[in-house]
This record gives sequence, C-alpha cells and structure tokens, in this order.
Amino acid sequence: MRANFIFSEVWIGLRRNLTMTIAVIVTVAIGMALLGVGLMINSQISSMKDFWADKVEVSVFLCKKNDPFPQCKGSGGVNAQEQAELKATIEAMPQVQQVTVENAAEAYKNFRNQNANNTVLLSAIQVEDMPESLRVKLKDPEAYGPVIEAVKGAPGVSNVVNQKELLEKFFGLLEKLRWSAMTVAIILVFATFLLIGNTVRLSAFSRRRETGIMRLVGASNLYIQLPFVMEGVIAGLLGGVVAAVMLIISKVFLFDGVQLYLSPNSQLSWETVASVISVTMVFGVLICVLASFFTLRRHLRV
Amino acid sequence: MIHFDNVTKVYANQNRPALDHVSVDVDKGEFVFLVGPSGSGKSTFLRLVLKEERPNSGAIHVAGKDLARLSNFKIPHLRRRIGCVFQDFRLLPNKNVYENVAFALEVIGKPRRFIRKVVPEVVELVGLEGKAHRMPDELSGGEQQRVAMARAFVNRPMILLADEPTGNIDPATSIGIMKVLDRINRTGTTVVMATHDAAIVDSMRKRVVELEDGKIVRDQSRGVYGQAY
Repeated sequence: MRANFIFSEVWIGLRRNLTMTIAVIVTVAIGMALLGVGLMINSQISSMKDFWADKVEVSVFLCKKNDPFPQCKGSGGVNAQEQAELKATIEAMPQVQQVTVENAAEAYKNFRNQNANNTVLLSAIQVEDMPESLRVKLKDPEAYGPVIEAVKGAPGVSNVVNQKELLEKFFGLLEKLRWSAMTVAIILVFATFLLIGNTVRLSAFSRRRETGIMRLVGASNLYIQLPFVMEGVIAGLLGGVVAAVMLIISKVFLFDGVQLYLSPNSQLSWETVASVISVTMVFGVLICVLASFFTLRRHLRV
Repeated sequence: MIHFDNVTKVYANQNRPALDHVSVDVDKGEFVFLVGPSGSGKSTFLRLVLKEERPNSGAIHVAGKDLARLSNFKIPHLRRRIGCVFQDFRLLPNKNVYENVAFALEVIGKPRRFIRKVVPEVVELVGLEGKAHRMPDELSGGEQQRVAMARAFVNRPMILLADEPTGNIDPATSIGIMKVLDRINRTGTTVVMATHDAAIVDSMRKRVVELEDGKIVRDQSRGVYGQAY
C-alpha cells in the first residue's frame, strides 16, 4: 500500500469538491455538537439531581401578622400552639425524616444571602416581612404527596412550597432542551449521510477515468475505494474538531454559567466533556465512513 | 490460456444472445484476431474474459482459473495478468507518458524502485523513447495508443486483449501499432485482438475467429478477413 499515493488522491478529491467538503464539515460539526450538548445536558442533569437529592425540602410557610394569604386573613398570625401541633403532626408521618423550624430572623438572613447584590430588594424587606416556616425533610423526596395533603389548609399555614416541584420544572426544561438537541442532531446526521453520499458520488464521477483504469489493471477494491472513504473520514474528523471546539465553548459559557445559579459543585467535569467529545468524534467519523461505503457500493462498480 | 466451453451470454432486456453457445480455445502465446460486424459479440467476448460480465451458461477458464468459481475478491488478481487496450486509448490527460504507464503499477502497490526500472523499458519497447515526459495531448493518436499498450504490458501480463486498437488510427500508423503488438506477442504473451480492419488481418496472417450474431462462423489459422470459403 502506497500511502502517499492514497493521500495525494484524497487531497485532489477534497480540493476538487471543496464546496461539498465544506458543507459536509459544517453539517457534521453542528450535528455532532448538538449530539454532544445532548449528552452533556444528560450528565449535567444527573449530577444536579444527585446534588439536590438530599437537599430538597417541603417548606410549610406559617401565617404572620397581616399576612395577605387568604388562609391567614384575620388570624393575626400563627400562635405557638398551632405551630407545635403542626410540627407534631408532620413529624408523626412515616415519610418524614426531620422537621426544623426556620424563624423570621433566620429566614431574613438566608434571604439577605441569596439576594446580596439586590440592594433595592434588601432595603424594602424587613425582618417582620419574613414568614416563619417549617422545613420538612423527607426520607424519599418523591413521597411528598401525603405531607402536602396533610398540612395544606391547616390553621396557621399560609402556603406550602415543594422545592422538588420547582426543580422538576427546571429539569423538565433541561430535558426538553436535550430532546430538541438530540432531534436536530438526528436530522443533521441524516443530512450528513445524504451530503456525503452526494460528495462521494461527485468525486467518483470526476475520477471515473482513473477508477476505470484502476479496475482494468487490477487494483484491489480497497485501493480503489480507500481514497473516497478517506475523503469522508477527513471531512468527518474536521467536523469533529469543530464540534469539539463548540462543545468546549458551550461548557465554559453555557453549562458553567447555568449551573452556578442552580447547584454549585455540580459542575460538568472536563473528563465528561472529553468523553463526550471522543464519543461524538468517533460517531462523526463512523457516519462518514458508512455513508462513503454505501455510496461507493452503488456508484463505483468493481 | 483462454478456454470458452459452450458459453452463452444474454444481456438483460435483450432477447437475442450476444454470444450463443461459443466454444473456443486460445493457447499460450497465440495471436488471435476476433473479427465480425458490430454487434457480433466481439466486445462481449473480451468482457467475459475480464469477468466484467458473467455468462448465462457455459464455462470460461482464463489462465487456468475457472471464472465461475473465482470470487469477486480475486478478480483484481485475474486482471493483473491481463492487459487491455482500447480504441479510445483511455489515458489520463493530466499525467505524462511516464506517469500514465507508472500509474498501472502504482495502483497495484508495486514498489517505486521497481517502477523506475521497468517503465522506461516498456516505453522503449513501444517505441516512445525520448517522449516519456510528453503529455497525452502533445502526442499523435498512434503515439497515444503506444502509451496505452505500454501501460497494458508494463506488468508483463499473460494475455493482452485489444479492442479495435487501430479503430481511431490511420492505416499507415496502424502498421506501427501492429508491429508493437507483434513484438509483445513474441515475448510469449497471448494476444487477442478484436478488429474490423481487413487490411491488417490479411497482412498479419494469424489465426482468425469470426463471429456473427454471437456464433462462431469461422476459426482459421493463418486466415484472412474476408470470406475464404
């Protein structure tokens, strides 16, 4: 096998079909980048879920004085007895692991921490505006139904917030994003197949004289087909490299940015990014090889 | 060397067979003219030898191999032992004489050292010494056909198939082409040449196999083109 012969043929082929080659590279790059983003969202979701699994609580907010919630109208705020009863009821439930009371001062402190840069909000809200709440930690975060049933509408309770539901909405959004990325990726993979098919066909047509002679003098099928397949491989590899750059950029600017807000310490690791990149790279090249091969079978009789 | 046993070939979508129960033997080192009008099956005969087509029935042996039992994988190896020359030369226009001949060896993976040694020899054999670096469009038709013959012969095939090699060439130049073919034949290579050219067949006095409507109507050693019976 004469490597330089093959490579000069490949180079000629790529140059002759430059526009098609660029189209292939762009399609492969975008397709593989979207596939990679899908995979990265996947692992981001699972690491965020792990992070949140032992942190989600059901917050049972209690009425304060002059509370605007309809349940609290005229009650003048929760009294100590109601609060103790509520706590006892919840603690007695089998699903509950732990109940803690967050008084107004603590709530205010947490609020200040969370909104440290929002001075307008900080100056407007006073300690008295913060409600007391019961923080209910569940043994199984999924089993929130009965707890919410039990406390909703009980005297002294203004509102029940299930953090899990909030998170679920967010994860649902992420999952939608993932599915759309994957769907577009699949469509692009299909387009890549057709594009490569066309490129190879053009290439085979423009070189039919050479391949005809190669067949005639007894060049092996491998020798005849390899330059065409290599064209696909090189286009696929270049597309993969562009996709890798896009994935790295999206990790730095998109994923790291988003997760900062939501769950510190669940950053997408560089190892994950590297493995996603290698998966997409291999996948991209594989698609190109397969597409070239199938087209060659049809357009390059041996 | 080439052995056809009761070979019939019918192309798809055609009722009339291109070759109809043809049996013929070509021995090693023979020079055979294949004559007959257009559509008589000459080209089909050559294509069957190369296993570019498969017969519908009958057996073909080439260089001791049964083509029916030759796997697709091994067809290239069969073709390495067969050289081919065509009416339209089929040279690569962007390669010079030397590169055109060398191409045939490069694509079957011969080492460069070997190529450098044998290509000039063959270029000289076909009478193109000193023109190795000309491009095909700088050569006359006869010279281009010599390049094609050099390319067909450079790998020292056992058989040389020529499909109307003088079809595009004037009679005077054709004589030169035939001399080269004769020279190649004298090295022990079996030559099968399909042709319309009566003058050439008559002057060479070689074996003539005449086809008509896919049937062999004459097989004569030291024959002529016209009806000799």
